[in-house]
Amino acid sequence: MIKAKNICKSFTDLEVLSNVSFAVKQGEVISIIGPSGSGKSTLLRSLIGLEKINSGQLFIEGTQVKDDNKIAYRKMGMVFQGFNLFPHKTVLENLIEAPLVVNKEKKALAIKRAENLLKKVGLFDKKNSYPAQLSGGQKQRVAIARALAMKPDIMLFDEPTSSLDPELVGEVLTVIKDLADENITMLIVTHEMGFARDVSDRVFFMDQGKIISDTVPEKIFVNPESKRIQTFLTKILSQNDSSQ
Amino acid sequence: MFDYIVNVSGYILEGSLITFQLYLVTAVFSVGLGIAGALGKISKIPFLQAILSFYTWVFRGTPLLLQLFFAYYGLPVLGITLQPFPAAALTFIINYGAYFTEIFRGGIESIPEGQYEAAEVLGLNYRQTMSRIIIPQTVKRVLPATSNEAINLVKDSALVAVIGLGDLLRSAKVSVTRDFSIIPFIIAAIFYLVISSIIVTVFRKLEKKYSVYE
Ligand SMILES: Nc1ncnc2c1ncn2[C@@H]1O[C@H](COP(=O)(O)OP(=O)(O)OP(=O)(O)O)[C@@H](O)[C@H]1O
Ligand SMILES: [Mg+2]
Repeated sequence: MIKAKNICKSFTDLEVLSNVSFAVKQGEVISIIGPSGSGKSTLLRSLIGLEKINSGQLFIEGTQVKDDNKIAYRKMGMVFQGFNLFPHKTVLENLIEAPLVVNKEKKALAIKRAENLLKKVGLFDKKNSYPAQLSGGQKQRVAIARALAMKPDIMLFDEPTSSLDPELVGEVLTVIKDLADENITMLIVTHEMGFARDVSDRVFFMDQGKIISDTVPEKIFVNPESKRIQTFLTKILSQNDSSQ
Repeated sequence: MFDYIVNVSGYILEGSLITFQLYLVTAVFSVGLGIAGALGKISKIPFLQAILSFYTWVFRGTPLLLQLFFAYYGLPVLGITLQPFPAAALTFIINYGAYFTEIFRGGIESIPEGQYEAAEVLGLNYRQTMSRIIIPQTVKRVLPATSNEAINLVKDSALVAVIGLGDLLRSAKVSVTRDFSIIPFIIAAIFYLVISSIIVTVFRKLEKKYSVYE
């Protein structure tokens, strides 16, 4: 499904991804964890073409993605920490924008699917609201539905709950969990360790631009192999406790 | 007395036709020029950016009156003679285009990067992103500044009287000189106030319409 080979990415003289390689199978759910600045966002952004990689190869469903082959990017949807909904469009308009403009779908059809997606994330009654009228958790659920409206095979989440008030985190994680059950391939950058452990088939631990551990959740959370990961987990778990 | 006011008003109204024409032509083309200029300024083409920076620097940094004199009295020296109206229209379009370039550029740059990224990952191309996502949000943000310019333009349009164009102000002045009465100036002031008020009202309506989403 996704295959990355020796991906390198630098910002001027700062190397942010160094020789990252991994493979993700259809339907797998991957959590990406690691300290701040380790390159998690950059990795996701490189996958979907928001950042240009300096070297290495990237295959999506067997097709190599390049600047002149943007089609492969369309297999992916992305959800951002800051939602990035279009504020001048209603919830429904946010969902149908790309299906209409990019895929040239029939409007009635696009609306129908958008309404179904809104039902799925529990926001059908908000379809005519503007983003400014929604809570953070609702915004993020709309953002997820908007990405799904393009029927992606792969969903990328970059800290989807990090800018939410603690009491709103659950509703978003529930929606993502439902997606995981639907066999959609997902890469999720998150600081929610309990969620990562629950939902993922594998966990990538990133540090200084490398995936230093790629393993099943039990292994990383119950029995972390390296000191580095242990330290990180101890720190983040105590942070999560103190914030609750 | 009443007859006199009606007569003079009619005369000044004739003059205001020129003012309206100048206003319309300037509004349409300078806004267009401003959008093009703003898109050029945010483009990553250094040559284009340099030219546009020079353009806005010159036209925002020198008096409109000087620019008007230049177009009407200066260009003939170089062998280009323009009639008063084209000279005035050209000057106003280029001058206001410079202001709108800066206003719109600021507006576009105030839209967060995340809007571009969301559009990109959904597959929208540059043209679709600008026309459907960025510009509509920019319009809302630049409305107040644009409204100011729209009112400035009403007042600035009176400058064309100095190159002999028979606009609203010039008609009033002609009447004052001819009749030795101050009434035409008062009527002219009322005309300007009415026009400005209409423009303010229109922009208020627009701002209200755009406020639904925030
Ligand atoms: N556009 C950019 N220009 C320059 N440096 C950047 C840019 N984007 C990211 N970086 C740097 O790259 C490094 C990795 O950033 P990245 O955002 O991928 O980390 P992250 O693992 O997502 O961190 P966090 O948990 O804080 O989100 C950081 O040192 C960051 O400062
Ligand atoms: Mg990040």
